[in-house]
Amino acid sequence: MRSVSPEVSLVKREDGGGRRMRTDRGWVSVLAMVLAIVLQATVGWAADLTSNDPRTMRFPTVEFNPPDAERVVLDNGMVVYLLEDHELPLVTINATLRTGSWLDPADKVGLAGMTGAVMRTGGSAGMSPDEVDEELEQLAASMSIGFAKESGSASLDVLKKDLKRGLQIFADLLRRPAFEQSRVELAKLQALEGIRRRQDSPGSIVGREFAKLLYGPTHPSARETSVRSIDGITREDLVAFHRQTVHPNGIILGVTGDFEKADMLALLRDAFGDWAKGSVPPVTIPAVSGTDANTGLVRFVNKDTSQTHLRVGHLTIKETDPDYVAVAIANDILGGSSFRSRLFNDVRTQRGLAYSVGSGLRASVYDEGVWLMRAETKLSSTQEVVNRFVANMERMRNEPVTDTELEEAKEAYVNSFVFSFTSASSIVGRLMDLEYDGLPKDWLQQIRDRVVKLTKEDIQRAAKAHFNPERLRILAVGSGEALSKVLGSFGEVKEITLVPES
Amino acid sequence: MISITGARTIGVLILAAVLAAAVPGQAGSPSLADRVIEHKLANGMTVLMVERHQAPIVSVNMTFGVGGVNEQVGQTGLAHLYEHMAFKGTRTVGTRDYEREQAVLDDLAMVGTELDRREREETARAQADGKPPVPSQTVQQLQRRFKELQEKAGEYVVGNEMALLYQRHGGVGLNASTGKDITRYVISLPANRLPLWAALESDRMAHPVLREFYKERGVVMEERRLRTDDSPNGLLYETFTSTAFQAHQYGVPTIGWGSDILALTPAATEAFFKTYYGPNNATVAIVGDINPKEVIALIEQTFGKIPAAPPIPSLVTEEPPQRGERRVEIEFDAEPALAIGYHKPTIGHPDDFVFDVIDEVLTEGVTSRLYSTLVRDKRLAASVLSDTNYPGVRAPNLFVIAATPLAPHTTAEVESATYEELDRLKTEPISAKEFERVLNGLDADLVRSLRSNSGLASQLAFYHTVAGTWRYVLNARDRIAAVTPADVQRVAAQYLTKPNRTVGVLVKKAQDKKMAAEVAR
Repeated sequence: MRSVSPEVSLVKREDGGGRRMRTDRGWVSVLAMVLAIVLQATVGWAADLTSNDPRTMRFPTVEFNPPDAERVVLDNGMVVYLLEDHELPLVTINATLRTGSWLDPADKVGLAGMTGAVMRTGGSAGMSPDEVDEELEQLAASMSIGFAKESGSASLDVLKKDLKRGLQIFADLLRRPAFEQSRVELAKLQALEGIRRRQDSPGSIVGREFAKLLYGPTHPSARETSVRSIDGITREDLVAFHRQTVHPNGIILGVTGDFEKADMLALLRDAFGDWAKGSVPPVTIPAVSGTDANTGLVRFVNKDTSQTHLRVGHLTIKETDPDYVAVAIANDILGGSSFRSRLFNDVRTQRGLAYSVGSGLRASVYDEGVWLMRAETKLSSTQEVVNRFVANMERMRNEPVTDTELEEAKEAYVNSFVFSFTSASSIVGRLMDLEYDGLPKDWLQQIRDRVVKLTKEDIQRAAKAHFNPERLRILAVGSGEALSKVLGSFGEVKEITLVPES
Repeated sequence: MISITGARTIGVLILAAVLAAAVPGQAGSPSLADRVIEHKLANGMTVLMVERHQAPIVSVNMTFGVGGVNEQVGQTGLAHLYEHMAFKGTRTVGTRDYEREQAVLDDLAMVGTELDRREREETARAQADGKPPVPSQTVQQLQRRFKELQEKAGEYVVGNEMALLYQRHGGVGLNASTGKDITRYVISLPANRLPLWAALESDRMAHPVLREFYKERGVVMEERRLRTDDSPNGLLYETFTSTAFQAHQYGVPTIGWGSDILALTPAATEAFFKTYYGPNNATVAIVGDINPKEVIALIEQTFGKIPAAPPIPSLVTEEPPQRGERRVEIEFDAEPALAIGYHKPTIGHPDDFVFDVIDEVLTEGVTSRLYSTLVRDKRLAASVLSDTNYPGVRAPNLFVIAATPLAPHTTAEVESATYEELDRLKTEPISAKEFERVLNGLDADLVRSLRSNSGLASQLAFYHTVAGTWRYVLNARDRIAAVTPADVQRVAAQYLTKPNRTVGVLVKKAQDKKMAAEVAR
């Protein structure tokens, strides 16, 4: 059912997933997931067509007032967002849980991830794991539970006719997971296999090693599971982690689809109303320690490949920093906007040196973010690509962007804004994210307003302050002996040796 | 490409029925047949439209019936390279002065082609003599001239102007992809920007300009390194597929062999465009906040002016029946993996629908046979999946099962456990419960697939291109529902046999020094 067919496409597809879409590189590029909410009159264009030249066409900005969701708080503190949408006979319930791998003990890295996985697979108080799987698949319901760094998530997607039963199972797994021993063992074996396979591809190595290079290997944003840490995790650990971190007052539910609000609230109160509150700590990620976070470094990992996988960048600001919007647009022009960006035009289009090239800004409200430039290129052009990275970064710092570039960036942002609100689930998902992060519900609109006001001077100031040549950390994964020479012009080169697990 | 399998798409029909019932305003539309508006231009181009007014946005999927299968020996990768070149603009978009640019581009193509040819010959001669190639005077001269011309051509270029226009107007999801049978161009836009799409796309269907050709060839080489040469799975599937197909073009990688990519010429690319990119080989599906009458008028005004091209050449080569198991190993610095493929008929064949059932029973979900046996119970494998239409859909293709072993178990153990399950398909009828699960899953998936404008556009254009009509989806679900347990046994016994099978195994290359990955205990 899944395809293994090779896909060859024009530009590398970015992962659309994750609840942090609004801050991922590329800004808002949410794919259209359309559900019927507001019947909008078709926008006619015939009268607007004054030219057949695509370069001079002008259109009015599409105005769209997406529907608002209702917010209800249950007595036990569980927050519920509801937005009806009767187009299709489906109901979706998404949950964000105030837990996450930031809570993993240092000697049990992987505990949160495994807790989430086995909550889904390990059965519940009333049903064996097999019974859960059989029934969900017979109903063609899809259900998932997973814990990431700063939050957990759970979701149920079910045909309307099966809502009641689906919700029972969903609530049961959230509240009373059984963590059956055989499924704990299976999850541990799978985790160990994942460790065994994580050095297989250069793309996987470069991402993980670069995080460690920036945050340090023990920081929650970079640390990794190990054979030892997985070995040490027991069923009792999972039971305790669930008991200690999953509470109704730490959960935000988002319910969208074909239901009536009053009926849904009654069902939710039945399912969750008698769940007692617990203690929910705020997400706290430690700052990266010491001054060594600010020094430049050049490192390589030896892997027998035809291309060098490059990451060049440093830690950066949080999403709530006043400079965030200016840095984001600076990054957009530098390398964040695919075809439109300088790095794409320079390294790919004009020099033909890479298929995938660009820059990224990943920021959250909890943690120092990452700003980086990336590409994969053949060994012989590695040095040239790093040179282009540095030159383009310097140009962002040393001269203002052009009027056209800024105008393009603003227009692209404003004109694609409508794609942030195309479905009930995208509208509710955003509200859940913002509440979880303690941001105002019109955060996105605020950002849009700030984008529109940006000047060339703002962009240059942000680039000067936040694209810092002295702090650049360079990581290359590829042919080791050659790389140490190629990278020599950028500083003292050291090898990162991937040590076998004991 | 083609991650949309036959089974997945059937549900559009069901969806349509569902929609008809659920959407106020849509009452009285009993089926998808009534919601899809089909319009054919005099030049042969097909337009498929579905109105959905939930948000002021529209998704467009333009699909051409051309892909890797249409390439000649020595020119593999051409379909994909053209797809890249299609973003380089036209006589108006992407240039500062087309008249002057054209003369430079002509010279550049001539010099580039001659340079390629001489370099190739000199390299071959040096290899034969066992010496490193030293460029001759002539080649050095050509290299200098090539560099000059490339710089001169660059002066006329407005880089990525087409993509830039889309982005500036709020377009998202701009991409294109090339598969064995089809090539697709996709974009989603604010609904009032459809005239921009029509202007850009009709222009490039009529007057594309192959500027920055040699640079883009370099980009594609990097793409090949990324997807295939440095990717354990990429290399496994390239080798596995070329082993299974020895005559048919499905055996050739869509991205092209490296040596072929480096030999592709502007002239061949231009000829390929002229042969395969006529309006009569195009289907465009448009789903979203549209007024179909206005869309038809717009498309008639733009694409309608483009003359039809001659019918595309028919394909000749067929894959002869496989007579004996084929096995191939690929060494890589990576953990082991396994791919097993069986030749089977193409889309629309009665047995293809039976494979849809087999596919679901074997690997869809955690209660499926292969997952529950190999992964959950015996713990031999970390993952298992299958694909019913690999690597393309229009010609007879493969049913593929892919798995990764869970250490310390081996690919051999996973393979033999897989065969036990395949034998069970031949000897025991599938249960009513399994069959019900398959149908429930298909129906629900298809309801879900209607959540997305771009997904629906993709399905309509896909089936219209590979099955001849989007209406294929109208009866496919019924064909699957009519499959009997005896059909499954018969088809399993007929196709899932040793002589009909190709097995590819990714083998961990002998460890060198420090790159030892994290070892198993």
